[in-house]
Amino acid sequence: MTNGTRWALLGVTAATAVGVGRTVARRRHRHQPERQNGWYVVRRGVTVDRPRDAVIGFWTDRERLDQALVGWAVLEQLDDQRWRCVARDPSDGGTEWRAEITVDGPGTLRWRVEDGPVPQEGRVELADAPQGRGTEIRAELRYRSGPLRRAFGLVTSHEPDLALRDTLRRVKALIECGQVIDTRRDPSGRSPAQEKATDKVREKLMTGGRA
Amino acid sequence: MRALCWEGVGKLAVRDVPEPQVRADGDIIVRVRASSVCGSDLHLINGYLPAMREGDILGHEFMGEVVETGPGVRRHRVGDRVVVGSVVACGGCWYCRTEQYSLCDNSNPQPVFTEKLWGHSPAGILGYSHAAGGYSGSHAEYIRVPFGDVGAFPVPDGVPDDSVVFASDAMPTGWMAADFCGLTGGEVVAVWGAGGVGQMAARSAQLLGAERVIMIDRFPDRLATAADRVGVETINYAETDVLEALRELTAGRGPDACIEAVGMESHDVGAAYGYDRVKQSARLQTDRPTSVRQAIMACRKGGTVSIVGVYAGLIDKFPLGAAMNKALVLRMGQMHAQRYIPMLLDRLAAGEIDPGYLATHPLPLEQGAEGYELFEKKQDGCLRSVLHP
Ligand SMILES: NC(=O)c1ccc[n+]([C@@H]2O[C@H](COP(=O)([O-])OP(=O)(O)OC[C@H]3O[C@@H](n4cnc5c(N)ncnc54)[C@H](O)[C@@H]3O)[C@@H](O)[C@H]2O)c1
Ligand SMILES: [Zn+2]
Ligand SMILES: [Zn+2]
Repeated sequence: MTNGTRWALLGVTAATAVGVGRTVARRRHRHQPERQNGWYVVRRGVTVDRPRDAVIGFWTDRERLDQALVGWAVLEQLDDQRWRCVARDPSDGGTEWRAEITVDGPGTLRWRVEDGPVPQEGRVELADAPQGRGTEIRAELRYRSGPLRRAFGLVTSHEPDLALRDTLRRVKALIECGQVIDTRRDPSGRSPAQEKATDKVREKLMTGGRA
Repeated sequence: MRALCWEGVGKLAVRDVPEPQVRADGDIIVRVRASSVCGSDLHLINGYLPAMREGDILGHEFMGEVVETGPGVRRHRVGDRVVVGSVVACGGCWYCRTEQYSLCDNSNPQPVFTEKLWGHSPAGILGYSHAAGGYSGSHAEYIRVPFGDVGAFPVPDGVPDDSVVFASDAMPTGWMAADFCGLTGGEVVAVWGAGGVGQMAARSAQLLGAERVIMIDRFPDRLATAADRVGVETINYAETDVLEALRELTAGRGPDACIEAVGMESHDVGAAYGYDRVKQSARLQTDRPTSVRQAIMACRKGGTVSIVGVYAGLIDKFPLGAAMNKALVLRMGQMHAQRYIPMLLDRLAAGEIDPGYLATHPLPLEQGAEGYELFEKKQDGCLRSVLHP
């Protein structure tokens, strides 16, 4: 390789690196959650290929919802409009949080976490997707973050946002095909240690998305 | 059970692994009877398609016998002989409903990687790395097939295992490549790559109305087989200037449609190839695009370039100007297995397509690594090694 080519290659690499760096920086910036009166606010949406009634039907069908939530949350109906949700986060040493869910009208509900690691409230609205493509589930999540976490810039990895996207994806899958696919523990030639390392990778590839 | 596992770039070994289990209502467990190698595996084995993990079981083109069904399975019974599409599709999302199965919204449980790389995540694929869902592959005694009612199809009696196995991947991919060309009858179609996929594309193009098919590769035995079995004209790109030859063969017009069935490890003679290899190994570009460039340059004005060779990331020197100013139609994608398989099984049973000759090297699973070596180096006339667990 001549010196000239080497420099050319280096130049391309540098340009690429800087270019990618810029894009990443810009994206980070763009994905800083919005702030409102001390709350972080994130909005996420997902489109479900079913009419609105079917989506509402899913939320109000106790059996299917329980099936969906099996293992990680229990729903308890308080009255016509209100449920209590008790959830356990297995990835976080089994922290428990309680939320109250209120149905505001057809296709609108909101929840507030009354007791949990992160103060949180949210709203879900359903809208018809264009071209008969089903229903848009639009969610807005508000949460607070401790001062320490903020000081370390940890809000950039805003877990509530990741969890929200993950949940929306799960709900979509459950409504559309009745299951959330899982490939953990599929056979492989890995040792237990290798499997553990792979599970960490899987975890990263499963949560969030569209960053 | 025994299974062929990836153990690092270029390294394969048969290992003892646990047997798969029914994990969801729609799962079926298939005892694998025939499992083929595919050009895509080479990209995975060689580390060009990312996100392989040590111990992953390879293989996605296969057929076998149903040995267990989940409680929600309706269309299959234990004992059924089935062929399974490589692409996993849920059957219930908008993409599945519109028969774009390889774009399924719900079948990749690990979508973050591809969402970052491509903006959105396409469907999961069996035995195709953690970017495509982390599913265990079919080079094993048994495999779990999720959404069994959507992905598995009963095999017509009398069609041998080593023939119907290609209805899993090579046939639907070839068919889709030809389908993309929008043939109405009488066209001239050029096909880059005389592997299993290219040969199935050539046959499909004929069935869809092409009058002449011209095939481009550098392995004389592959070209000879294609000429003999499919009835194509051939160009050896190692000996002939391809663009020049295609222009002459079409009296100056260029082929009406160009199918690219080579993929990201495309090979070439000459200086540009050295440049592409250096850039690819330094990861300045992830893919080597020689044949795509050629297809675009060769295609007639207003023609169609159909890409089914697999690409993963970035390429450079992409002749966008040629594509734009010649008003080309570009079509591409992973194949929608479930859309084409039933029709292809009918054609197989009727003898319209006979892919059995692709299985040049039937081998026991234990010789899997050898099978890939023969296939990768195109030795001993190997078109496809088919493993029998
Ligand atoms: N889109 C899909 O759904 C899908 C499905 C299966 C396979 N594929 C892809 O199709 C491609 C082909 O698969 P295969 O199993 O036939 O592989 P293969 O390795 O058997 O065949 C590839 C052929 O391309 C030839 N080739 C290399 N460089 C060339 C060039 N510059 N011009 C012309 N020919 C050239 C090789 O000599 C070889 O014969 C791969 O990229 C594979 O990943 C795509
Ligand atoms: Zn394949
Ligand atoms: Zn789907």
